[in-house]
Amino acid sequence: MIRFEQATKYARTKGIKKPIIEDASLTLNRGKSVGLLGRNGAGKSTLLRLIAGAIKLDKGRIIRRGKISWPLGFAGSFQPSMTGEQNVRFVARIYGVDTEQLIGYVEDFAELGPFFQAPVGTYSSGMKARLAFGLSMGVNFDYYLVDEITAVGDSNFKKKCQAVFETRLQDSDVVMVSHSTGTIREYCDCGVVLEKGKMTYYGNVEDAIRAHDKNMKES
Amino acid sequence: MGYLTTHLRVVGALLVREMATRFGSKPGGYVWALLDPAAHILLMTVIFQAIARAPALGTSFALFFATGYIAFQFYQAVTGYLNAAVKANKALLSYPNVAPIDTIVARFLLQMGTTSLVALIVLGTIVATVRVDTNIHWPSILEAVGLACIFGLGVAMVNCVLFLRYPLYEQVFTIVNRPLFLISGVFFLPDSIPAPYRDLVLINPLVHIIMGFRKGFYPEYRAIGLDMDYLYGIAFLTLFAGMLVFTLSRKTLRNE
Repeated sequence: MIRFEQATKYARTKGIKKPIIEDASLTLNRGKSVGLLGRNGAGKSTLLRLIAGAIKLDKGRIIRRGKISWPLGFAGSFQPSMTGEQNVRFVARIYGVDTEQLIGYVEDFAELGPFFQAPVGTYSSGMKARLAFGLSMGVNFDYYLVDEITAVGDSNFKKKCQAVFETRLQDSDVVMVSHSTGTIREYCDCGVVLEKGKMTYYGNVEDAIRAHDKNMKES
Repeated sequence: MGYLTTHLRVVGALLVREMATRFGSKPGGYVWALLDPAAHILLMTVIFQAIARAPALGTSFALFFATGYIAFQFYQAVTGYLNAAVKANKALLSYPNVAPIDTIVARFLLQMGTTSLVALIVLGTIVATVRVDTNIHWPSILEAVGLACIFGLGVAMVNCVLFLRYPLYEQVFTIVNRPLFLISGVFFLPDSIPAPYRDLVLINPLVHIIMGFRKGFYPEYRAIGLDMDYLYGIAFLTLFAGMLVFTLSRKTLRNE
C-alpha cells in the first residue's frame, strides 16, 4: 500500500514555484498496477521519486507498506565512471541481496557481453535501459517504479521485458509512467491522472486514459 | 536500528565503490594511493634538505619537513577529497537509501585511513633511517591528527553545500586555499616570527595543528603560541557549522 496524506510538493526553479501535487490524499492498494498519466512537465517523474523516497515532500506524508524500488528510468541511477558490473555490485550491497547471484542474473538478462565490464558512461541508452531493467528485476520488490523505460530498446528486448515483467507482476505491482497509452493499457489495472497539482484516481485504466486524452485536447 | 544497518551497508558499498574507481583502474591499485603521496613527500624532503641544511628544529631536515607536511595533509587531503563527495556520487543518490551523508562518511574513512598509512610509511622510514634520537609522544600526535580531521571534515561539509549553491565561492575557496601550505608553518616555526606578525599567523588553526603534531616528535619543542583551547574551539565549531549547513541543505544536495 502507498498512501498520500495531504501531500504537497512544489517544484522550484529560478524563483518559479510550481505545484506538482497540492494537498493530495490518495491510497494505492496492493494487487493493482497503476499507470501514471499527465502532460509533459506535470511532474510525473518527480512523483515517482517522491514515492521512492529519494526526495521529500514539502508538506504532508507518504505512508509506504512494502519494499519499493528506486525509480527505474534510462536517465539513470548509474554512476558513469563505474562499470556495469560495479554498478550491479553496488546495488546488491545497498539492498543487501546476494551479490554473485544478482550479477549472474543481470549479466544474463542485459546481454551486454564484454560491455558489462566497461564503464556505464560508454553505454548507449538502449544498453543502459537493459542494464537498469535487468538490475531492478533481479531484486525482489513489492512495487516497481518504472519511468518510461520500456519505451527504449528493440522489439527483442521489449519481448523479454514483457516476459519477466509478467512473472514478476504475479506478486508485485508496478507504478508506471509512460506517454504511450498502449503500454499503460498493457500493464496497468488502474490509473492516476496528474493535472495542475491534482491527482485523480480511476479504478479502471480506460477511464484514466480517457480523462487524460480529454485534458490533452482541452489545452 | 534498521536505519543504522542501512547506513552501514551503504557506507560499506560506497567505500568499495570509491576504492574501485579511484584506484582500481590502474595496475597496482591501492598501493599507488600510498606510494604517490609518500614518494611526493620523500622527494620534496630530499630537495629541501639540499637547499636548507639546518632545520628550525632538531637535526634532521627530513623529519622537520615531513612532520609539517603530513600534519598539513591530514587537513588538506580530507578537504580536497571530500569537497566533491556529494557531487561525485550524484547519480547514486537516486537510490532512496543512499543519503548524502553516506558519501561523506565513506570518503572520510577512506581518506583518513590512507593518509594515516602514508604517515606511518613516511615517518616510519625517516625515523628508522635517519637515526635521530626521537622520543615519540603518541597522545600529542593523535590529538593533532584527530583535530585536523575534524576541522577538515567541517570545512568539507560546508564546501559540499556551498560549491553546489555558489559556483563563484568554489573559485574563491580554491584561490584562498592554495597559499595555505606556505603560511601554515610547514617550512618555518611560528615561534620565530616577530611579535605583531606572529599573532596573525596564529589565527590559522592549521598552524596549531602542525605545532601540536611536531610536539609529538620533538619533546624539547616548546611550541610558543600553541593554543589547544583555540584549536578545539575552531575545529568543533567548524564541524558543527558543517553539520548544520549540510542538514539544512538536504534538498540542494539531493538535487531537487
